[in-house]
Amino acid sequence: MTGILTASDVGKSYGNGVARMAIIEGLNLSIAKGEFVSLVGPSGCGKTTLLMCLSGLLAPNVGMVGFKGQTVTAPPIGLSVVFQDYSRSLLPWKTNLDNVLFGMRRVTGMDAPQKKARALEILEAVGLTGFAGHYPWQVSGGMQQRVAIARGIASQSELLLLDEPLAAVDAQTRADMQDLLLDLAKRFDQTCVLVTHDVEEAVYMADRVLVLGPRPTRVVREIVVDLPKPRDQISTREAPAFLRARHEVMELIRSMRQGKALS
Amino acid sequence: MKRETRIALLGLLVPLAILGLWQGAALLQKTPLFPGPAKVTLAIWSNYPVILRELGVTLLRAAMGFGLAAVTMIPLGICLGRVRILGRVLEPLMDMLATLPPPAIIPLVMLFAGTGDWAKVVIIAYAAAVPLLMNTYEASHSIHPMLSRVARSLHLSRIETMRLIDWPSSLPMIATGARLAIASSLLVSVTSEMLLATNGIGTYLQRSQETFKIDAGLAGIAFISLAGILVNAGVLRLEKKWLFWHYRDQRPTE
Amino acid sequence: MTIGLLAEKFRVPICIALVLGGWQIIFALGVVNEKYFPSILTIASAFWQMLTDGVVISAWATTFLRALIGLIGAALLGVALAILSDLSPVLSRGIRYVSDVLQPIPPAAFVPMAVFMLGLGTKLYAFVIILVTVWPPYLNGVAALAGVGQVQLNTGRMFGLTDWGLLWRVKLPAALPEIFTGIRYAATLSLIAVIVSEMLAGRDGIGFMIFKKAFAMRTPEVFGLMFLVAINGVLLNGLVNLLRRGLTGWHIRMMERPE
Repeated sequence: MTGILTASDVGKSYGNGVARMAIIEGLNLSIAKGEFVSLVGPSGCGKTTLLMCLSGLLAPNVGMVGFKGQTVTAPPIGLSVVFQDYSRSLLPWKTNLDNVLFGMRRVTGMDAPQKKARALEILEAVGLTGFAGHYPWQVSGGMQQRVAIARGIASQSELLLLDEPLAAVDAQTRADMQDLLLDLAKRFDQTCVLVTHDVEEAVYMADRVLVLGPRPTRVVREIVVDLPKPRDQISTREAPAFLRARHEVMELIRSMRQGKALS
Repeated sequence: MKRETRIALLGLLVPLAILGLWQGAALLQKTPLFPGPAKVTLAIWSNYPVILRELGVTLLRAAMGFGLAAVTMIPLGICLGRVRILGRVLEPLMDMLATLPPPAIIPLVMLFAGTGDWAKVVIIAYAAAVPLLMNTYEASHSIHPMLSRVARSLHLSRIETMRLIDWPSSLPMIATGARLAIASSLLVSVTSEMLLATNGIGTYLQRSQETFKIDAGLAGIAFISLAGILVNAGVLRLEKKWLFWHYRDQRPTE
Repeated sequence: MTIGLLAEKFRVPICIALVLGGWQIIFALGVVNEKYFPSILTIASAFWQMLTDGVVISAWATTFLRALIGLIGAALLGVALAILSDLSPVLSRGIRYVSDVLQPIPPAAFVPMAVFMLGLGTKLYAFVIILVTVWPPYLNGVAALAGVGQVQLNTGRMFGLTDWGLLWRVKLPAALPEIFTGIRYAATLSLIAVIVSEMLAGRDGIGFMIFKKAFAMRTPEVFGLMFLVAINGVLLNGLVNLLRRGLTGWHIRMMERPE
């Protein structure tokens, strides 16, 4: 398989024998460079576990994950993660700015003042002007999440994995952040994999939507989003292609939920 | 005036009442072996140079003992926390040593090392070692797993992780251990001087008793209390200053 | 089973084996003078000798009882003062001034002066122990009583409880777990206070005995007695824990609930 990120027949389970809990089974996917892919699925299907495996933080029991052609055994250079648990992923003894700078350790070609300027620029872009000198615990949850996103973007990693990054952000800010993520990802040429439970967000942001099935999860359908970029919050969401994709995903997820309820 | 200030001032009545009762009892007893606060204040005034000098010796030894414990126990605690097996197996030993109070080892150390400076420093180091080791160990093996995930996702090496993530996040608990250890060091320094008398404020207290100078002895105790209060307050101040990020409010400002 | 799991399960015996084994090795190597580092056997036999002499048992009992009774007295006094402090903020502040001054003073420092005012014997021990051990239960009690949630208080009032009833039936039970944490800490302090008093001004008890044996250069006995002191600590803590489970079992079970 080609693609900057690949998963071949990945399986992840916990426990043995009777107590065995399979989270992922027989999962295959391939992400091409420059793509923006969304992963959606019913709640509890193992999206976060999958992200952990894709990032190299968890090792699969079966199969392998590949990044730029190499098997992933630990988080590889060039890959960054934006965690769901934002408050614990930011270091409380560092300011917001220092936290973002901390994520830029591996960035080459910039000296310290340039890095600082870039970090401030990104913080401004996520709407945290004036809070750079604050500490994460001095700002609200939504703002902390934005700092975490800023850190991920500032790292200029080729691949960015985001685990429900906008869950704690209020609706209006979320719309701005979605556009911002798309814009920055394009600007810094970052491939993105977004895990979300929000179907509309998944379709709005992505070039492709991969729908995950219930546990043990695998990719049950791939839906190509045939909409031009840059996207627009109003017109894109009214476009027929958007509504079709959205319909398909929602119906699929609903049937999976009902199927589970009935079984 | 504000209610807070009013309570603070009225509260002074309690210690004042106690002092009054004490003075009354002293006047009734009419023996130099039962001095009242007045006599003790006079003793403070006439003896404070000597007391301060002896106190200095005590504090110096306490600092040395604490320093010895800190440089040995903090690395050890971190090691034990990281190498899981070692830590878990030695935990019963740590718990056992925690129940052995420092005064109990004084006779043993006296056998080994006599009554000099080093004997006392070793005893103080033991007293400081227990809270330092236990807290450092606890901090080291209960680092939140999320932090190690963050470290790995940011591609930090093992050493970088320990230096940049493990160490700062363990500091609050280590600091609490240090604070307890410092208080312990002071305490045991005084106690060791009383049992292994050579010099220091503890010996001063013993000598006062032997020469029936009770008022001087009580003056010495007053200074011990003062030293303890100042040191503790100072340590707390430093803790709040360097570890402010741990004692935080969770007030959002959006 | 992997080595890790085995080590985990049998860590107490493994630990004991390591300590005793390591000890014997040091002894066998002869690195330290045998006078100071006797073999385990020597220590054990010396200890046994003391036991059969009956000396140790009475000393141990004396020390243990002093520590225990002192602890109980201090705990009761501490809780009583905490209740009074809860009712009167002025009293609370006043006692705070006193505790701030008295807490940093090591128990040993009180002994020489207290001997003059109270002589040797029970009054001395009671004075020193209480002066040192009353503070943790008291301070914890004050904090705990003040920290009882408004919701619980309102619930109590809804059931028609007066302030007094509220104190006994809502605040005190809610404060007990934290008070017991204070009592556990006070138990260690109590033992220290007793041992130190016995060393400085005692005529009996383990503290007195350890020093006597040390002066007589009887190293094995000193080691044995030190071990006994540690056991004392374990016993005292065990008793406190037992009482804690009995009175605040609900809290312990609540805290141990898996997330």
